[in-house]
Amino acid sequence: MVEPLQLQTAAWALTTALELSLFVQLLRRKLARIYPFFFAYLLSAILQSAGSAALYRYPNIDKPTFWKIAWGMQGMVVTIRALTLVELNRKVLSPYIGIWALGRRLLLGVAAVVIVYDLLLSKGQWQWLVLNGVRGLELAMAAVIVSMLLFARYYRIPVSPLQRALAVGLCLYSTFYVINYSLLEKVLQQYAVLWNFLGMFAFIASLLVWIGAVRRYTAVEEVRAPQTIPAELYGTISSEVNARLILLNRQLMQLLHLENRGQ
Amino acid sequence: MSLPVIFLVLFAILLVVLLSWALRPPAREPRPALDVFEALRQSRHSSRMSHILQALEPHDTEFLRSSGHAALMQTIRRQRRAIALSYLQQLQDEFEMLLEISRLLAVMSPEVMTMEELERWKLSLAFAANCAFLRWKLRLGLQPFSGFALLSNMAYSFARRLEAATTRIAEAAVRTAEPAGPWHENPGGF
Repeated sequence: MVEPLQLQTAAWALTTALELSLFVQLLRRKLARIYPFFFAYLLSAILQSAGSAALYRYPNIDKPTFWKIAWGMQGMVVTIRALTLVELNRKVLSPYIGIWALGRRLLLGVAAVVIVYDLLLSKGQWQWLVLNGVRGLELAMAAVIVSMLLFARYYRIPVSPLQRALAVGLCLYSTFYVINYSLLEKVLQQYAVLWNFLGMFAFIASLLVWIGAVRRYTAVEEVRAPQTIPAELYGTISSEVNARLILLNRQLMQLLHLENRGQ
Repeated sequence: MSLPVIFLVLFAILLVVLLSWALRPPAREPRPALDVFEALRQSRHSSRMSHILQALEPHDTEFLRSSGHAALMQTIRRQRRAIALSYLQQLQDEFEMLLEISRLLAVMSPEVMTMEELERWKLSLAFAANCAFLRWKLRLGLQPFSGFALLSNMAYSFARRLEAATTRIAEAAVRTAEPAGPWHENPGGF
């Protein structure tokens, strides 16, 4: 029977191989220039894998130093992932100036609320602050991705297949991290190796989604900026449309009201 | 595991569900911009409310009962319920069309009014809920009702104002498009 640790090592090797494959694909398709933060994120993930392998080669290293290096690398990767997310949001929404201005505030608000809620769970204990902070950031990233996609759907903003794949990969990994960490924290610590393996599996799934999208990428995917109308005109029409919507809603309410009276 | 952490896990699961929903193609394909504005110029169903309500006047059917034609009265009332349901559908379509226009405007505008967008989101939720509620009440058997002349007039007045405003947007869009020439690259857009 295969030992869990062997499985984990195999998953680690597979992850690195997929990371390198994606790295090459991004360079070949010239996507590193279009999505520089995503490229940097992938690079940081590869460096983290190499750094972790190097750390395990020195078993005599003291625990606090090990902890600091490991979390330092993790912090770097999470920060670059957050920047990748900003890049993705900008790519999708910024061609639409008004929508981007509104969406930026909305998405920042969503992220802030989620992070603050998660940090409040630490109850002032600093050792939990770091761990909960990372979880909060992961959950905030997932919430921002979903909000952005819902926002784009509402306004019928086109999201290219590659952007969609990036969003799905980032979101799935982040949500899995949150579920994994929250369950592992209190309930399932005896299955730590299994959960670590599943965490890697989630990342492998994300990598496969990204590789597939990059392979299918065509330059036609890039969206052109739409034609704009003056802001004042939008204001006028927007007010008119709103008034009309209110009227329709009021008519419906009257129908409801009178119908109730008629019963 | 504490309750707040359970909430976090549930929220994460909800996000995955929402993600899969957000990635689904929309139920209806968006209409090209030109079609939307064309639709806005067409006559509105809400302006016909007075006619619909006149047809649902209770006295129209009550006299049939007193003259001994109860079965006929029931038939007429059933038909009128069907009319009311159809009318409700038209109101909903009109509401959705207006929402589509507002979305299109927001996408084209360099500045979006947050409060108006929020107001629209709230309205669309309230309208959808009320519509569903009224539709079910009608199906279960609606009593005729009356007295909507004022509302009908209001609807007509708003329709006129909106028509004038859309004419302005069309003119402005043409003016903006003329010098640069991207108009020709975007045949569906304004």
